[in-house]
Amino acid sequence: MIEVRGLKKSIRNGTRTVEILRGIDLLIPQGQFVAIMGASGSGKSTLLGLLAGLDSPTEGEVLLDGVAISGLEEDRLAEVRGKKIGFVFQSYQLIPTLTAFENVLLPHELNAVGDGKKKAAALLETVGLKERMHHYPVQLSGGEQQRVALARAFVVEPPIVLADEPTGNLDSTNGQHVLELLTDRQRESGTTLVMVTHDPQIAARADRQIHLRDGLVVADELVAERV
Amino acid sequence: MASNYKPALPWRTAARIAWRELQASRAKFLFVLLSVAIGVAALTGVRGFSLSFQKALLTQARSLMAGDLSARMFRQTTAKEDQQLNALASNGIDRTMVTETVSMASVKGDPVPLLVSLKVVDPAKYPFYGSMALDPVGDLRAALTDSTVVVDDNLLVRLRARVGDELKIGGRYFRIAAVIVREPDRMMAGVGLGPRVMLTRQAVMETGLLQQGSRATERYLLKIDTTKQSVADTRAAVEKILPDAQITDFRETNPALTDGLDRATGLLSLICLVAMVLGAIGVAMAMRAHLQQRIEILAIMKSIGARSADILRIYLLQTLFLGLVGGLIGVVLGLGVEYAFPLLLGKLLPIRPDIRLPLKPVLAALGTGVLTTVLFCLPPLLDVRRVRPIAVLRKMVESSEGRRGWLERLRERKLQLLAIVLIVAGLGGIAAALSDSMLVGRWFAIALTALLIVILALSAITLRLLRAFLAKTRLHLHSAVRHGLANLYRPGNQSSAVLAALGTGVMLILSVFIMQRSIVRELHAGASPNTPNIFMIDISPEELLGVKSLLAKQGIGSEKLETVPVVSGRIASIDGVAADALKVKNYPKRLLNSVTLTWADAVPLGVKVAEGKWWHSGSDAELAVADRVAKRLNLKPGSQVVFIAGDKEIPVKVAAIYKADGGHAFARSEFVLPSGLLKDQPTIWYGAVHVTPAQIPEMERALFAVYPTVTVINISDILLTIQGVVDQITIVIQFLAGFSILSGAIILASSVASTRFRRIREVVVLKTLGATRNRIAAVFSIEFVFLGLLAGMVGALFANLLSRVLLHRMDVVFRWDVKWTLIAILGTAILAVVTGWIASFRLLGQRPLEVLREE
Repeated sequence: MIEVRGLKKSIRNGTRTVEILRGIDLLIPQGQFVAIMGASGSGKSTLLGLLAGLDSPTEGEVLLDGVAISGLEEDRLAEVRGKKIGFVFQSYQLIPTLTAFENVLLPHELNAVGDGKKKAAALLETVGLKERMHHYPVQLSGGEQQRVALARAFVVEPPIVLADEPTGNLDSTNGQHVLELLTDRQRESGTTLVMVTHDPQIAARADRQIHLRDGLVVADELVAERV
Repeated sequence: MASNYKPALPWRTAARIAWRELQASRAKFLFVLLSVAIGVAALTGVRGFSLSFQKALLTQARSLMAGDLSARMFRQTTAKEDQQLNALASNGIDRTMVTETVSMASVKGDPVPLLVSLKVVDPAKYPFYGSMALDPVGDLRAALTDSTVVVDDNLLVRLRARVGDELKIGGRYFRIAAVIVREPDRMMAGVGLGPRVMLTRQAVMETGLLQQGSRATERYLLKIDTTKQSVADTRAAVEKILPDAQITDFRETNPALTDGLDRATGLLSLICLVAMVLGAIGVAMAMRAHLQQRIEILAIMKSIGARSADILRIYLLQTLFLGLVGGLIGVVLGLGVEYAFPLLLGKLLPIRPDIRLPLKPVLAALGTGVLTTVLFCLPPLLDVRRVRPIAVLRKMVESSEGRRGWLERLRERKLQLLAIVLIVAGLGGIAAALSDSMLVGRWFAIALTALLIVILALSAITLRLLRAFLAKTRLHLHSAVRHGLANLYRPGNQSSAVLAALGTGVMLILSVFIMQRSIVRELHAGASPNTPNIFMIDISPEELLGVKSLLAKQGIGSEKLETVPVVSGRIASIDGVAADALKVKNYPKRLLNSVTLTWADAVPLGVKVAEGKWWHSGSDAELAVADRVAKRLNLKPGSQVVFIAGDKEIPVKVAAIYKADGGHAFARSEFVLPSGLLKDQPTIWYGAVHVTPAQIPEMERALFAVYPTVTVINISDILLTIQGVVDQITIVIQFLAGFSILSGAIILASSVASTRFRRIREVVVLKTLGATRNRIAAVFSIEFVFLGLLAGMVGALFANLLSRVLLHRMDVVFRWDVKWTLIAILGTAILAVVTGWIASFRLLGQRPLEVLREE
């Protein structure tokens, strides 16, 4: 479960202070698929980053399963991230010097005990990259790289997966494929999925849509209710 | 009608763009500036010091010689010569004689004698120019009397004596009146065998040290009244009177020293040039990485109408600016190098020049720096021609190159190939200018290019082998090790160039080290248990039997003692050609007038006959010649030589050519004759014997007590002196070779800095995936450690190969030094880690979100 209380984030831009998030309260139960929408600059990615503990809020708190992560020191935060959160970026962010297989294996090596090789191989097979698992990122297409990133996000079976416009850099066919893989995987494993997207069609597949504008939640509705 | 004319990008605009780009990437270009600065600093330092030194020699020329003219020879003048020299006095020419020799000396209470360098002067006249500085301060005339000596402080230290103590030389006691602080003509004497002791002629005559045939150097110092006779005329006159003397006048500022200085400056400049070339390679690498990162911007410029030539202007200006500013930083650092030089040279340096920053070496180093930088940047700069405007729309447009054959790619890069030819030619030109020799320049350029190509190829092969190994084993390795090793192949890392540059630096410094150790080891190896370690010189025929029996009493049997008789003579003719008319190779003609002859009726110990046969009878008119002398004088078995010893003419036929090993008494002999031909001549004996180290002090003491004029030279003392000189030279070369290592390290830093953005991204992705700081630090450290280890291995391999070849040429045995090779490899790894982390400053503290938002 993710809980957000009074979250504010401002940054200094030269002599000016810009308020990106101006007080957000959220409660996301386990297993829910949430789409965060909003115009460019509305604070979507900042919110996602704060949920993952990639940055610290100016005010407010983020609690993952009841544990406040905002005040944790860096290495402890890394541990929480490694065990609880999987991340999918818009531009894949694979380590270029490691093979697809090694990229998927890496979170397991960093955070879990035991041999993760079987799990990594199985995940790559699930995303249709069994034949290409020993290729380097540069040898893979964009769609393939994003599928590797998906497998990487799920390898430690985290309770939460955060995705920042995961189909933003892909053509529609590949985008569709990646989205299906992501939602299938989320449903199968009961993971909480928070996804930032511009695309209403993608958002339509979510359980819940949160709309941001100028750093505030302007709409928060369950998709089923709307329907 | 539309014209095809299109104006070029104005230089002013090009300069503005170049300047703004430089400002935007200040941190990255800082390493580029340092790359240029390192080589320029080394070169400015070396050449600046050399020029300062030469200026000091010139301005102090008279003082450094202590006269206007010096005539040096290895014998005393004859009565006739004295008469002719005296006649010069009518032309206002004053003269004084300085004699230098070695002897034994001891102080009361400590009878173990010490080998000292004696200098015999007339304090009434010496020195004609410059002054003797003494401690306590005083005039040489007052301090030096017939019953006193002045000495080096080194003598006091070694004999634990003080000013006022009595010093025993040649059986007589002299009071130590003062310590020599500065002796103006010290460098005319070269490196002495022992500490200096100065005394008067009357004093030395009383000791009986100087006798016919003694090994002494005579130096006449002349003071010329140039209003009466010019220096040139005086020189001509003295050359006529003393044809076998080595004559120098102050205008030459010590030709041996200046020649040596010129040669050393040339050699050291070339070592600096290696650092400069490595620096230039660093600049070229950084420029290539910079241009690769700017491909999109270059494509935008091209899409709005810029031609390659316009873009080239921008980056050429940037390169020139980097070369110039880097060079200027180098000049400032060079001043520090110049200051460091006298400290490094220590006592090898006869005078301390005033350190200045002469314009000529500054401009030379700056010019060399800029030229080298521009030359090496040409190939990456020319690459801008290949950027296509379509890259604005599609990043991957250039990747089609991979499918083309290498011949086609070569053809496409013919301009780059031309640039490489230009680089090699330019390098040759610079090397020729620095070393003052076209031949050296050519060979340096060819050798350095070949070396860099081979070392680069080896680096690339090493990296490929490691990658193949990694591909096979990677999943069995610890994940941090696997990740660290994989990072060696990070896009834009330029690992093989870094390996080659760092490896070249390691190679230089380790080669010098291996050679120094081998040479020193060889020096000591000569002193094996069977070869003599004590040499005795100037034993008169009357003393010879006594010396033998004294040694026998010490338990040193006559079978152990090697003796060599020495007779002074000169060569009158060879194969009927008079000495004056002979054409000889590398053999100063004046030396024909002063040769040492010896006799032996059987092949002496340590001598091997290389050609011909030794004689059977002591009365045969035959001769054996040392191979090195035979080669220079063009003597072969059957050659006819006529010697003159005393008043006697000795015609002989060459019967044998021999090689002598350095460990025995005959090692320094040049001409060996049958005994019957020389026995009636005035003779001095030399002895050589092996004594156990524990016996040496007792033997020296006993010998000095009875025969104070016999000089005992302990080989281990001499070895220490030689080793001191070798060590000092090594320090200087290693100091300069260190600049190459520094260049290599800066290239590594530059490569790390140019991949900074990629590394930052990697750090934040790893952090997002749950990696701790320690884990990320371990991954990067493993990358740097392996880079260092591989560079160390490549460098160590080449250092061992190079020193093996060079030592072989010097007839010195090469031995693989495992310990120091390993130390060099580990040292390089440590250097790489430290450098890598310095260049990765604040990398670990990056906040993930800020970086990811910059996508």
